Amino acid sequence: MKARPSAFCAALVFVIVIMIGALLAGWIAPYSPQEEVRRDSYHPPTKIHFVDSRGHFSFRPFVYATHAEYDDNLRRVYSEDQSHKYYLRFLIPRLVTVEEPGRIYLLGTDSRGRDLFTRILFGARLSLSMAVLGALLAGFAGLVMGSLSGYFGGNVDAVLMRVAEFFIMIPGFYLLLALRGVLPPSLDTKQVYALIVVILALIGWGSVARVIRGLVYSIREKDFVRAAKVLGRGDAEILVRHIFPHTFSYLAIVISVSIPGFILGESALSVLGLGIQDPDVSWGNLLTESLAVAHLRMHPWIVAPAILIIVTSLCFNRLGDAFNYRSQS
Amino acid sequence: MDDHRPRHLTFRVFCCLSIVCLIVPFANPAKAQVSNTLVIALGGAPKSFNEIIAQETTTSDVTGLMFEGLTRFNPLTGAVEPRLAESWEVSSGGLDWIFHLRRDVLWFDGKPFTSRDVVFTFEKLIFNPAVIAPARDIFTLDGKPIQVEALDVFTVRFRLPVSFAPFLLALNQSIFPEHALKSAVDSGNFQSVWGVDSSPEAIIGTGPFKLKRYAPGERVELIRNEKYWKKDASGKSLPYIGRIIALIVPSADGRLLKFLEGETDLYVLSGADYPLLKPKQKKSHFELLEAGAASGSYFLAFNQNPPNPVHREWFKNRVFRQASAQALDREAMIDIIFNRNGVPQCSPLSPSVPFFYSAKVPCYEFNPEKARQMLKAEGFADRDGDGYLEDKKGNPVQFTLLTNAENPERLQMAGMALEDLSRIGLKVNFLAVEFNTLVTKLSATHDWDAVLLGLTGETDPHFGANVWRTDGSLHFWNAGKGAVKTAGEDEIDGIFRQAASLMKAEDRKKLYDEWQMIAARELPMIYTVLPRTVYAVRSRLQNVKPSPIAGPLHNIEEIRIKE
Amino acid sequence: MKSFFYYLCKRLAAVLPLLLVLPFMTFCLMHLMPGNYFDSLRLNPQISPETIKKYEALYHLDKPLLAQYFHWLENIVHLDFGYSFAYKQPVLKVLASRLWNTFLLSGVAFAAAWFLAVILGLWAGMRRGSWIDRILHFIAYTGLSMPAFLLSILFLALAAHWGSLPLGGMRSVGYEEMSWPLKCLDVGRHMVIPVTVIALHSWGYLFRVMRAQVSEIVESDFVLLFRAYQVSPHNIAFKHVARNALNPMISIFGLELPSLFSGVALVEIITGWPGLGQIMLQAVRTQDVFLVLGNMVMISVLLVAGNLIAYILLVAADPRIRMEKP
Repeated sequence: MKARPSAFCAALVFVIVIMIGALLAGWIAPYSPQEEVRRDSYHPPTKIHFVDSRGHFSFRPFVYATHAEYDDNLRRVYSEDQSHKYYLRFLIPRLVTVEEPGRIYLLGTDSRGRDLFTRILFGARLSLSMAVLGALLAGFAGLVMGSLSGYFGGNVDAVLMRVAEFFIMIPGFYLLLALRGVLPPSLDTKQVYALIVVILALIGWGSVARVIRGLVYSIREKDFVRAAKVLGRGDAEILVRHIFPHTFSYLAIVISVSIPGFILGESALSVLGLGIQDPDVSWGNLLTESLAVAHLRMHPWIVAPAILIIVTSLCFNRLGDAFNYRSQS
Repeated sequence: MDDHRPRHLTFRVFCCLSIVCLIVPFANPAKAQVSNTLVIALGGAPKSFNEIIAQETTTSDVTGLMFEGLTRFNPLTGAVEPRLAESWEVSSGGLDWIFHLRRDVLWFDGKPFTSRDVVFTFEKLIFNPAVIAPARDIFTLDGKPIQVEALDVFTVRFRLPVSFAPFLLALNQSIFPEHALKSAVDSGNFQSVWGVDSSPEAIIGTGPFKLKRYAPGERVELIRNEKYWKKDASGKSLPYIGRIIALIVPSADGRLLKFLEGETDLYVLSGADYPLLKPKQKKSHFELLEAGAASGSYFLAFNQNPPNPVHREWFKNRVFRQASAQALDREAMIDIIFNRNGVPQCSPLSPSVPFFYSAKVPCYEFNPEKARQMLKAEGFADRDGDGYLEDKKGNPVQFTLLTNAENPERLQMAGMALEDLSRIGLKVNFLAVEFNTLVTKLSATHDWDAVLLGLTGETDPHFGANVWRTDGSLHFWNAGKGAVKTAGEDEIDGIFRQAASLMKAEDRKKLYDEWQMIAARELPMIYTVLPRTVYAVRSRLQNVKPSPIAGPLHNIEEIRIKE
Repeated sequence: MKSFFYYLCKRLAAVLPLLLVLPFMTFCLMHLMPGNYFDSLRLNPQISPETIKKYEALYHLDKPLLAQYFHWLENIVHLDFGYSFAYKQPVLKVLASRLWNTFLLSGVAFAAAWFLAVILGLWAGMRRGSWIDRILHFIAYTGLSMPAFLLSILFLALAAHWGSLPLGGMRSVGYEEMSWPLKCLDVGRHMVIPVTVIALHSWGYLFRVMRAQVSEIVESDFVLLFRAYQVSPHNIAFKHVARNALNPMISIFGLELPSLFSGVALVEIITGWPGLGQIMLQAVRTQDVFLVLGNMVMISVLLVAGNLIAYILLVAADPRIRMEKP
């Protein structure tokens, strides 16, 4: 069998790490996501030194203060002021901090001088939770609809499946755009968040429902279900106690595989400017700045959120695959 | 693993794939030599070739090369020059105009241009009730249309109900051929004639270029008008360029890449492009030409007639608006959004507007301390220690800033303005909406608090009257039910009414200078910053004199390509 | 045969309501967005509100919503899909002018994705665990995980660096002067980047399905039997394994068909490919209602057709399906 435990472990570890990162962002990130230091616009990742300009080695890593100048091409160039060392402090009050005016930009800054590393961590909170919630919601809705459809059959089945097919077939992108445009513009972030979750779930539940229906349909005919019926157990009880558990392995797969799709869906919305707004952070609106070729060439570090989205999607896909194999064997 | 491998299959698959992958991308059909051709990139596909009914720049960018008006505006000198009209006289205090038309102008199909075409354009197109022509609003003065009549084959007379100072400017209105459009107008089809699916020969103008081909969504091809009337100093017939190919490239990145690749000859820079392009000038054979501050305006505006009475109190307070102006860090905006290539804007007119721009308009320097003190004096203070101010009645100062989602520069500017305002204690929520939604809020429902917006610039301040006059249709910051005139609005109304009919430019300038001072004091719109327009122009192009108002090709017939 | 036709009709009847509901839903959504297309004109100081009202009256935008919808339905019967506000042309004309471009792009991407998925899926499935299999699998994963718009920008940036591929658009500047085969090559070169981006995603998904199917079948008894009888590997692969593996693929094929015309908007915009996606995104954002509706009708028709084709193909390929409930 295709057993690649190392890849699976790597994926699992990464997902766990990113989730912990999102949860503990307040402690791990050196700054707050809205903190703008405009003179540090497009600051490259801070160089961490162990050896100073005179060649002395130090166990404690340190950084220099920087200042910016415009060169002849109007390009912002940062140079280090090597006169004073600022040592990094660990664990208290946060994972890594440094005394002002030293700044520790692990992944550089964006156009307004906001630390990218911090924003990615805080953005993970919104993006990941939206994707997970959306996937869970879609999975749950699909479970319920699909089970009812497969269990009762007949007209219930016909109607529910038509509805499910309808939602599957709608081009998701336009639905996203149109729904977002329709909504009253004066929504605050939390409401936009909830709405995006709901929209994503609406797009996704249909295909889940269809498969669950097939599963339930086949389970329905099995002996233990028939026995339960004969014994007079109610439909609801049969569904919950006997049928649902058999769908869990499929649900695990489909939920983990739809998460990347939802992360991408949210970023597509934000790229169009209709997702989470400034000053709140999501991976989607972090992408908007990185989408210009000129910026990519001159400040390549702003592509970090994109890389993170890709790697996270990869890992969730891998997990989904792993659940797939577990269920098959 | 057991041997399931069919060897033939492997080999075949490998061969096919490698052939495809290696040949297609790299085989380059010889870069066909396109001589004496200017290649440019448009940001959108033209929606029509009928300039009368289609208002978008995607249309006028193309038709501007094919049609001409009686006069033309020289953006470099600011003067109105003759075009299809050789000369003109004005009498009766600006009510009677007589234009003498050129006699050597031919339409693309060879028929001569006469006064009948001018009369046709105005009577049957612009003022035709069956035609929806936005140009009509410009030529309707005091509710009455202007009148046109042909005095003889090459003379036209215009009669205005009131004197109209920008009349000459407005007459760069394109003139259309009677013989080609008469049947469409008579049969009521004018709204759909000359659409993008028309045969190119049907689109008949007098300009330096005519339409050769339009490939929908891809490109517009124009070729030189052999019969063009204009000649250069040595008698050679203009234009010099033989062909123009306008590629349609909707994404800004795409336009940059095409320019870098060498496919296009012109590129309009935006902020971050400058450091990327400047070092490449020699190697890629182009030059960066600075054209001055862009025309138009970017501003932050407060709704002085919002539905919420608490908000109304704040926004109607002039000191509140002035403090907000004081809080904006314009230098940072220039640095970050335009990569140092910009200027702060203090007047409704861009510094590029010739003659009428007043340099005496005071600017609000970045001074958040002063802003806080100004607000304090008005009773705004942070009484509950949350970092945000409450007004003198205790209401926390909180409102929403709107802008449109499609424009990344505006989004950045709004984000920065928001941060600046929150640093002086105002709690601002940000909302990016679709453009149509924004416009609905501004002009129909009037339920908005603050907006960050940009308006396109005009060559004459009068053309912005609809924004500044209290009865104007675009007087968005103080409109709707229950709007009360604010200080200065009466004077501005008077200024716009008067200045439209004064004939002497110096008199008008005095009035408009005063208008700009009032605007700076009352701040219905708080202007932020303007980018400096920079064009990248291929070295083989000569005579390119770009203007931020009229673009790089306003003198297209003089531009040469040195092979 | 009678029963097959009967089931086909039943299927058609089940799917036909889509044709009505999808456009209606789109119509409602379009109109729930506040304002209308002509709002974009309001912000132009030189256009008066009266002019704007005239535009609205011309297109019946001032009438109640249901009346507008029925008016539109009426016209559809005469194959008059209404007017595009932006292009001031009948909707059918606008769609027709771009249809071919999108179809070409999507069609090639579709064909490439499918062809490669089937061949490579077959190949990889029969060699579980080999390094080729691992590489392909990895590419499939990555392809599925990347947002299309990001991929396009990345490829464009790379192509700009290496200078071998054209950067966007559909044809080169000197296209008209080229000979016929060179013209094809030119369009082909312009297609490389957008096709790769679009196909990568579908291919990733299809490849994995095919591979999973193939590897399952390859372990099954009848294949073992054939191998024991020394049937040539070639025959095993094509005649037996592939045939069976294609089963689920066929149903996916029918359902993927409609995506030939939707879903490529962002890629078209970024690579400047003059197709439907470009104008559709604009149309949705600017509320060019009839254009969007026309596109929706087209997509719905394709969905219905795709669904039916999938059903027919499935039945043709696998006689067992015929007897199952639809």
